[in-house]
Amino acid sequence: MTQPAPASPVFWRFNPEVFRLIGIKCQDCGHISYPRTKICHECGSQKLEEYQLPKRGTIHTFCVNWAPPPTFEPPIMPVIVDLEGGGRYQGLMTEFGAPEDVKIGAKVEMVLRKLTTDRGLNVYGYKFRLVEE
Amino acid sequence: MRGKVAVIGVGMIKFGELFEKSLENMIQEAYLNCLKNVDKGIDPKEIKAAWFGQWSGGFIGQGAQSGQSLASMIGNRNIPCTRLENACPTGGDTFRHACLGVASGMYDVVLALGAEKMRDKPSAESLGGAGGGGGAETGNHPAWMIGQGGPAIQAMHATRQMYELGYTMEDFARVAVKNHHNGTFCPYAHYQFEITLERVLNSPVICWPLHLFDCCPQTDGAAAAIVCRADLAKKYTSKPVYVLASNVGVDHNQLWDRNSFIEQLSTVRAAKGAFQMAGIKPSDVDFAELHDCFTNTELMNAEDVGFVRKGEAARKLKDGEFDMHGSLPINPSGGLKAHGHPIAATGLGQIFELVTQLREEADKRQVKLKNGIGLQHNVGGPAFGVSAVNILSRSP
Repeated sequence: MTQPAPASPVFWRFNPEVFRLIGIKCQDCGHISYPRTKICHECGSQKLEEYQLPKRGTIHTFCVNWAPPPTFEPPIMPVIVDLEGGGRYQGLMTEFGAPEDVKIGAKVEMVLRKLTTDRGLNVYGYKFRLVEE
Repeated sequence: MRGKVAVIGVGMIKFGELFEKSLENMIQEAYLNCLKNVDKGIDPKEIKAAWFGQWSGGFIGQGAQSGQSLASMIGNRNIPCTRLENACPTGGDTFRHACLGVASGMYDVVLALGAEKMRDKPSAESLGGAGGGGGAETGNHPAWMIGQGGPAIQAMHATRQMYELGYTMEDFARVAVKNHHNGTFCPYAHYQFEITLERVLNSPVICWPLHLFDCCPQTDGAAAAIVCRADLAKKYTSKPVYVLASNVGVDHNQLWDRNSFIEQLSTVRAAKGAFQMAGIKPSDVDFAELHDCFTNTELMNAEDVGFVRKGEAARKLKDGEFDMHGSLPINPSGGLKAHGHPIAATGLGQIFELVTQLREEADKRQVKLKNGIGLQHNVGGPAFGVSAVNILSRSP
């Protein structure tokens, strides 16, 4: 590379998965894990198939973080989302009006947003927003 | 393990914001207190191996520590000495490794010491070291960019405890009130003042549903224990305390792989294995030091260790059963909440409390002993996926 590293190696290594959301599904125990792995975290099986994570799901749990680390504007709202058809994704809520609108069981969908800034460059990834029912 | 290992001395320093003490100062004071605590005396040269608990190392400016740090600081370089890091259970696991060293038959007398200097850096940087930043702890997942730290992880458990178990913010706050009360009787505690339910609930929200006073402080401290072959214990002390079990349990490394948020399988596994090792039931335990890094965590721990059924902890706490003079005192030392949480020193500080209580030397905070058995517990890591449980008894 002639250019200086534009972002962290971690981000670049998993660049395709960050946007394409490819995980694995264990053919033995059914556990869905993301990103891809060669050994099932749940049961140790090596019989794994690639699995396309859906972008929709429901909130399993959340909190409202009023004291996030530097570079984040409070409040931020970390969520664990039960994805449609199984598997979980951990991320941040975006575009919520009042924190009170966010509840366990609420339907959410992933949208591409800026996550952070790394060495002067924007880093993008998925956040969740509430789905109107 | 049972019948093979005994604690002959424990030592610690008062936990707190110890700006005037270096890591070496703290280590040496805890070590010297530990030697003094061996009531029939011990020649330091009788210690044949040591384990050094140090969690953060370079993250928060303690320098890159390793085995030689401890050996050199205590002036004993003729012994093998290993640094051990295992997240928040570092202290409990350092003790376990010392016990394994003796139980294996390799050594007669060994030292376990944990020390952590957290306050030399401002809170945000110290928390950053603790995984509060964008931190590499979340590994190869875009979630590494979501600014998750200890409070956010436990707050997400608390939200689910409220949803599934009907727990309330008052239930969580009662843990803080109890542990602060206990802390007022402990000369080693970081915080030694009472708080009220109202004060907890009116303190700033750090991470909803957790308030400032639901969170343990960041603390400097050091604590140590000397363990030896059980059959040699009476040569060193008139009040040996015996190790019935010492175990570590693990679960997933990341939150999204875990299933339940009202239960931590790391604790369940550590405790189950420990009770099996000791050959006792949870109801045989007289009192416990449980890892209350956050108030909701103490309730979860009491259930996961097996003292009460899932969903019962809040009511038992409200009924006073976990009070210092209740049926099962939890955190008579003040817990992490009031006693402080200098990561690697925390578990060994709890061992100090167990030994002090079992020798009936705890003065105003002395709990009533029936079977003479106490339990120590830590849980932590990126997804609270590692836990240590040690069970001590005044009879072998």
